Amino acid sequence: MSNLAVLPIIIPLISAIILIFFNQKVRVSRALTKLFSLISLATAGYITWHVFDKGTIVMETGDWMAPYGIILVMDGLAAVLVLTTNLIATACAFYAPHAELDKRENFYFYPFFFFLITGVSGAFTTGDLFNLFVFFEVLLMASYGLIVLGGGKVQLRESLKYLLINLFSSMLFVTAIAFLYSVVGTVNMAQIAQRVQEVDQQGILTTIGILLFFVFATKAALFPLYYWLPKSYIVPNPVISALFGALLTKVGIYSILRVFSLIFIHKTELTHEMFLWIAGLSMIFGVIGALSTSNIKLIIAYNIIPAIGFIILGIGLLNPDGISGTIYYLINDMIIKSALFLLVGVIAYVAGTSDLRKMGGLIHHYPMLGWLLFISALVLAGLPPFSGFIGKLLLLKGAFEQGEIAIAIVGLITSLLILYSVIKIFINGFWGDKETMGDIPKKSTKGLLGPIVILLAISVLLGVGAEFFYPSIESISTYLLDPEIYIDSVLKE
Amino acid sequence: MIFAVLVPLLIACFIPALSKLKEKIHTGIFVFFVPFIIFLYFVQFVGSDFSPILEQYSWIPSLGINFDFYLDGLSLLFVLLISGIGTLVVLYSIYYLDKSERLGHFYVYLLMFMSAMLGVVLSDNLFVLYTFWELTSISSFLLIGYWHFKERSRYGALKSMLITVLGGLSMLGGFILLYVVTGTTSIQQMINQVDVILSSNYLPLILGFILLGAFTKSAQFPFHIWLPDAMEAPTPVSAYLHSATMVKAGIFLVARFSPIFSSYEWFFIIVSVAGIITLCWGSYMSVRQTDLKAILAFSTISQLGMIMAMLGFGTTAAVFAAVFHILNHATFKGSLFMVAGIVDHETGTRDIRKLGGLATFMPITATLAIFATFSMAGVPLPFLNGFYSKELFFEASIHLEDPSFWSQAIPYLAVLGSIFTFVYSMYFFFGTFTGKKNLGQLPKKPHEAPFGMLVSPILLVLGVILIGLFPNMVNAPFLQHAAEAINSNAEFHKVKFWHGWNSPALWMSLIVVALGATLFLTRSKWQGVYRLLPGKVSFNKVYDAIVANVDTVSQAITKYYMTGSLKTYMSLILGTTLIVSFVFMFISDGFAINTNQLADISFIEIAVVMVMIAAAIGTIYMNHNVAAVLVLGVVGFGVAILFVIYRAPDIALTQLVIETVSVALFLLCFYHLPKLRKSTDSAKTKAMNAIISIGFGTLITLVAISAHSSRWFESISDYFVENSYKLGGGDNIVNVILVDMRGLDTLFEIAVLGIAALAIVGLIKNKNNKGAE
Amino acid sequence: MEIITSILAGVLFATAIYNILQKQLLRIVIGTALLSHGAHILILTMGRLKTGQPPVLTEGISDYTDPLPQALILTSIVISFGVTSLLLVLAYRTTKENNTDNMEQLRGNENE
Repeated sequence: MSNLAVLPIIIPLISAIILIFFNQKVRVSRALTKLFSLISLATAGYITWHVFDKGTIVMETGDWMAPYGIILVMDGLAAVLVLTTNLIATACAFYAPHAELDKRENFYFYPFFFFLITGVSGAFTTGDLFNLFVFFEVLLMASYGLIVLGGGKVQLRESLKYLLINLFSSMLFVTAIAFLYSVVGTVNMAQIAQRVQEVDQQGILTTIGILLFFVFATKAALFPLYYWLPKSYIVPNPVISALFGALLTKVGIYSILRVFSLIFIHKTELTHEMFLWIAGLSMIFGVIGALSTSNIKLIIAYNIIPAIGFIILGIGLLNPDGISGTIYYLINDMIIKSALFLLVGVIAYVAGTSDLRKMGGLIHHYPMLGWLLFISALVLAGLPPFSGFIGKLLLLKGAFEQGEIAIAIVGLITSLLILYSVIKIFINGFWGDKETMGDIPKKSTKGLLGPIVILLAISVLLGVGAEFFYPSIESISTYLLDPEIYIDSVLKE
Repeated sequence: MIFAVLVPLLIACFIPALSKLKEKIHTGIFVFFVPFIIFLYFVQFVGSDFSPILEQYSWIPSLGINFDFYLDGLSLLFVLLISGIGTLVVLYSIYYLDKSERLGHFYVYLLMFMSAMLGVVLSDNLFVLYTFWELTSISSFLLIGYWHFKERSRYGALKSMLITVLGGLSMLGGFILLYVVTGTTSIQQMINQVDVILSSNYLPLILGFILLGAFTKSAQFPFHIWLPDAMEAPTPVSAYLHSATMVKAGIFLVARFSPIFSSYEWFFIIVSVAGIITLCWGSYMSVRQTDLKAILAFSTISQLGMIMAMLGFGTTAAVFAAVFHILNHATFKGSLFMVAGIVDHETGTRDIRKLGGLATFMPITATLAIFATFSMAGVPLPFLNGFYSKELFFEASIHLEDPSFWSQAIPYLAVLGSIFTFVYSMYFFFGTFTGKKNLGQLPKKPHEAPFGMLVSPILLVLGVILIGLFPNMVNAPFLQHAAEAINSNAEFHKVKFWHGWNSPALWMSLIVVALGATLFLTRSKWQGVYRLLPGKVSFNKVYDAIVANVDTVSQAITKYYMTGSLKTYMSLILGTTLIVSFVFMFISDGFAINTNQLADISFIEIAVVMVMIAAAIGTIYMNHNVAAVLVLGVVGFGVAILFVIYRAPDIALTQLVIETVSVALFLLCFYHLPKLRKSTDSAKTKAMNAIISIGFGTLITLVAISAHSSRWFESISDYFVENSYKLGGGDNIVNVILVDMRGLDTLFEIAVLGIAALAIVGLIKNKNNKGAE
Repeated sequence: MEIITSILAGVLFATAIYNILQKQLLRIVIGTALLSHGAHILILTMGRLKTGQPPVLTEGISDYTDPLPQALILTSIVISFGVTSLLLVLAYRTTKENNTDNMEQLRGNENE
């Protein structure tokens, strides 16, 4: 049954390849996309159940034993992230046909879409550092393909910056892998962890770890490396923004979580202490960015950064509550960010602009849209009983337990400012006189709101039904904090 | 109890459907029964033999978050206020809100608030309390913004939300700390662990966090500024949320935590000082207002300050006076808001400068107002409840336990605040109902309100009088339990009207009446004082400045580094990576050099390397397209030669092929791109670029040397050498690794190429499409 | 020799970055090419140089150069090639579309 681990990678890959051949047949593509995403979602669901029921699935590709071949490790963390990814992908697949994509769909939108899922799922599952690089490239290449779709002036320009910065960080990634290989003589993550532990992460190893951290931090858009993100994320259409916002940065933060809970954990007083600083600065600068603009898409894009700040806070704490909080917040943020990007996509579409200063009174025309945004704002700010609250509660508790008062206070203030930045859209965009925007033609939002409602419902469920989910998250946290389990499951069978 | 809390929320779900019938039946009629039934349910608990009840339902037990509802005297007092006043407010709103309004929205928000508020006062669980607490902020936000087409409504809604949510989050911080310190989320269990909390290092922080939550919610100075702006809400909402219930949540919180903090001296100091200042400032500012509801808003602030101060005093007498005043304030202030609403409804304005002489048109309303305002002013008459609690307050202020400087000053401040209270009470009544009639200035011709609208204020004023006549009727069965919940030593106080001439409180009351009357009559003469204080200082301006600055400063900061320039981004990214990596290399003692295992050096290698270095540097100085490509090609082919020298035939071949294709591609592309120009950067920029790039190159070199010198483990490659043929069936080990052992890499490497090809096709096709358009 | 190749890689990185920090798009593209060369040289160096024969199994020889880094380089070269080609096309299209190859003129402004 260990072959299960490869399915979340192979299914989207095959889907992507099939869809290349139907590129010109938009209707067929749409139908197949929905079908494939559902199949992939069902598989991911089954795998998650399997992992929590029977334990981690370790797959040795090509039957080459670890650490020599490439290992896929479907553990609890990987499983829930793959499941969340597929959930978001399915929502996007059902949203995409209704969004104004017509001009883009036949430029291989759907193949890129599935290639992206392939890369993301692969990155979550692989147990091999170099293979992680390869999956990074898969998802980056797919993202390049998506980001240039449509190819307007602005879009090309921002794509170019996005590509160049990522290219640099990829090269640094390869370099760091080479350094690490020189010291520990392997690229298998479990074995790296084992060997780093043997020499107590002495000498140059910490520096190599920091280089790796910067590689991942660039992709995760942490302070001070997130400059590329806001503008390049808002250029493409909402589906692409949602996929990027929900998945790409999260792959980066996942890698940090994996590498700095498994491998580089012997000099936490240096590395993880720095993460706390970075967490605080990411929160502050990210939310400042979100407050600085009246472009609704930019507001959401900037809000990615404080969320990543919250997520790395738990990694920096590296205690049970912190890690549980990180995972909870990570899942919550993937879902709510994609919902928000899809939502502002609809808002910009019906309002005909994404400039908040030109909006007003939309609630008279689109009440449902307004309330969805309102609830999303509360979820994003981490108000109870939504899922953001559970994550935040755990993170803050973890911080207080460790005596990290300052960062907890920064987190609390950031929550308020996040709420402010998004509720601004509600107050200025939706409240107000019916006639504020003059006679805007009523546009149909048919099919666009359904996926958003589903995503929000899941988010609410994660909060209200936390009792059902939390024990699983807690078990992942316990598992991550004891790297021996991971190492043993990969190296000794 | 859980039903009582959740029923309003459940009913709220049906309101949108019911509001469709609003032409036939006013939606409020359905809603009316909700608080009424809750009131009837809880009223049965009133009695001398009441003892606290705890009901538990698990929700998220793993995180200690459970629906634990705890009904003691304190929560019973609040529950009855919430449901009782709620009933009257809904009744009032049926006549106040026209059927053309969006009644569905209004009642959904109102019911949501009702649930939330009941939840706040009944929760024993910290985090459930917090959940309901934020829900009250949110429903208050929606109710203030009910008429959101008005700019002021939006402003007020945002302001109240920002301030109360800030407080809420701060309170959450305090709650989490309490949870961390005590290991429990139940308030009652914490009361058993007071020692643990009091000996914790976090105590000041916990107190500060929780008090910030309480003070923002209960509009204590200087966080009071949101309350006057909240008056943009429909009047029933002001009467309900912003006077009788929600703003008392902060009071409730302080009362609830009194048993925990009361032996901590700072608790007394902060709470009583904040309360007293709020009392004085609120009543002082109230006299200046011209809008009836603004007068009442500042009056509410001032009264909340008074209750807060009494909780801060913490003596048994003060605590009793506090709970007594919570009840009394709800009655007279609730009726006054309704009176203000009636005046607004029937005359079309709330501007006291335009009003006057309304007593002849609205005799019933005027009668109600006179009772309520005089009770609020604390006029010593035996049928006004406000007088009793005010006198108890004076009494408490002169019998403080802690003889510090502050406690010396407190009685004087109490009298000062009360004098202004007297002034604005008179101002409210006489300004509206007596004096010159200005019918010409009124938008509508004034007349008495319909009976339905009067019912609620009449009932409340009846409450004022009944409690005034029989103050001890409510004490023993009801308030006594509330006081005990705050201070377990609280004893039953028999409230008397007359204490004899030597009671200092009496003299204080008389001073208040005498000075208050003088100030009221001469107020036109001393109004100028407001130009000195607050003069230009206004906390509203501070708030506005903060909000405006949040926008401008964030824009300035963001613009500063989000320049859109790739060079800026790269410089920042590289600079940070560079500095942090060097720092880490230094502090973790990372650098190492070991010359033992080095490969020998041959002349040819040196030559190749030299040529490559020269070529690489050359790329910077080449100002001709073709030359640049050629120089770049030299580097590429140099790499291939090195691969050959270092016995890597496969990659050498690949490199050659790829390099050739690349050069061709480069040439093609460069042919179409503008010619290379000389760099026009300033010397400073060049130097900066040079520092960053040389720094980074050095970093790479140093880490490379260290990594190479720290080979602590054998490579796993031996396995590949051994098993390449045996298991992989191939002689060329690299090939076997690529296609077999690391086949997955290769599969996705091909995928990457494929995606790149698709992307390129997409880019080019896209252009063709553009041309066709 | 490893020290010399390490220095070479350092120089390649430095020149690459210097080029990337320029305004003109062409120079930036050149920079990225140098960057991948530097990275590949490094991988090879990190696997130790000249420790044996080329990793093709031959009778009677037991010492081979470390084959794993070579496999990794191969993968990396191919991927870099893909990215570089896309970059070239994108650079070309961006220049045509925006009528400039100066990155400083490709900043863009707020709220587009």
